[in-house]
Amino acid sequence: MKHLSNIVALFLLWLLPQVGKAQQYTGISGLVHIPSAEMNHEGDAFIGAHFLNKAMMPDTGFIYEGKKYNTFDYYVALTPFSWLEMSYVCTERIYRKDAQGNIVNWSKDRYASVKIRPLKEGKYCPAVAIGGNDILTTSFYTDQADVQLYFQNWYIAATKHFEFSGNELGLTLVYRHYFRHYNAKWNGLVGGVSFRPAFFPQARLMAEYTGNDFLLGLDMLLWQHLRLQASVKDFKYVNAGVCLQFNLLGKRYSY
Amino acid sequence: MFHRQSSLRHSSIIMVFFALLFLSSQPKAISQDSSPGLDFFSGVNFSFRDMNFYTQYEYLLQVTPGFKWNMGHHWQLTGQAIIPVINRYGDDYKYVQVNALNISKELRIKSLYLKATAGVFSEKRYGLDLKAFLPLCDWFALEGRAGYVGVVVINPVWWYGSMNTFVWTAGGDIYLQQWNTQFRGIIGKYLFRDFGFEVEAMRHFNHTTVSIYGQWNDIQGFDAGFRFVVALPPYHRTHRKVNFRPASNYRMSYAIMYHHVTNDFYRTDPEENERDGWFSRDLLHWGSHTMQPDFIITEKTKKNETPE
Repeated sequence: MKHLSNIVALFLLWLLPQVGKAQQYTGISGLVHIPSAEMNHEGDAFIGAHFLNKAMMPDTGFIYEGKKYNTFDYYVALTPFSWLEMSYVCTERIYRKDAQGNIVNWSKDRYASVKIRPLKEGKYCPAVAIGGNDILTTSFYTDQADVQLYFQNWYIAATKHFEFSGNELGLTLVYRHYFRHYNAKWNGLVGGVSFRPAFFPQARLMAEYTGNDFLLGLDMLLWQHLRLQASVKDFKYVNAGVCLQFNLLGKRYSY
Repeated sequence: MFHRQSSLRHSSIIMVFFALLFLSSQPKAISQDSSPGLDFFSGVNFSFRDMNFYTQYEYLLQVTPGFKWNMGHHWQLTGQAIIPVINRYGDDYKYVQVNALNISKELRIKSLYLKATAGVFSEKRYGLDLKAFLPLCDWFALEGRAGYVGVVVINPVWWYGSMNTFVWTAGGDIYLQQWNTQFRGIIGKYLFRDFGFEVEAMRHFNHTTVSIYGQWNDIQGFDAGFRFVVALPPYHRTHRKVNFRPASNYRMSYAIMYHHVTNDFYRTDPEENERDGWFSRDLLHWGSHTMQPDFIITEKTKKNETPE
């Protein structure tokens, strides 16, 4: 039943006459909360930070005194080859508050992400990529392994772009599996659309269905190095991030 | 008996070392001259760690002024100090330290490249060091290094221990020129007498090298992380007899674990890094040295001279 509603939601999204490069809070390319089969340019390096609304967070691990809280992450990411992306992300956790409720100490959760694109996008066939977030742990030999890996998931994604009048429409379909039961709501078939207008190709509008919620997002690349992204989940919960982008091969890209 | 064996080993290592230095002074062994000159340079070390729950990041900022006197024929005298500027690492890091003060010589014997160094090294060590690199083809080379070192502390008190630690590493490098990608694997005996191995995959870009690595030693086990080395601008430089410049590179190494024993080895050259390797670019043409150089260096000419 749930899969049926996912498919209907995706179909509705594909019908919308609106609206794929950065799943920016992980440093890996994608939409907002779902990955895509798009890849960053070879040599692209990112360093950034992202405000994460509590509604975007897993239901375990980011809870203090019984309540979820807003937080932020920061990351470094690299595309060493046109078919490989890697990133390393630190997500802040509240460790201790004082009697007045002010946060005194933060700790962090760390994870690595990777994406490989075995099939490049062609004239008719979509690009296909496989990847995962939070793929490693330093706690394999402790009981912690069962409760950590808060973001662990693996996915296979397909993305196809269409051009019309200089505009670009991107369609993404993903099958994703989270390993933790508390993230099961984001499992299954998910997807989204992106739209890059001809008059301002540095910007991209996105709409996506994550399996549990809808997100609308906008990102843009300014002055070839500053990437901004803002998104809203279910028209209520706002996320936003900023990152610096460099191409280590010295190439210049406008988006 | 043990003491006699130790003395014999000690003297034999020193004799071999100086024999190599003598051999290196023979003109026929010198493949190419490097430009003589005196360089004064400075960079910064920025370190941070996350070790306790009450201070998420402790950090350390140091300035690293140094000099290099290239005497010609790949002889070099080098020195470097480390001056703490901001220190949240504790008392062990509050003193000015000497990070290098040594003399080195690079040479080539057929296809074998050697570098011998004597003096003070990083990690508060002094002694003798010998590095060897043997390219077997365009994409594969063997490498090894050995050192015979002791501990030296210069600040706050002058103290040194006897040279009693023999360290070494040996391994191989694979370089894929088409993708400017290098794989390195070594095993060795490290400074804390730990035995271990390390593997590293490097991707060389225009002025930057990024790598991921994994390592293991028999004291603290497995660790991994990533590194980057950035060649610092300006990339067009003029060579004079005396030069003042920024450090050639900024290097950062990140480890996911925080082990006190992490396959540690000293550095003999204050600007040594994984991108450039151990040998001068004009001597060894292998690996990342086949890429476009980071620095275009032109000789300073007098007003009434015309450049060639």
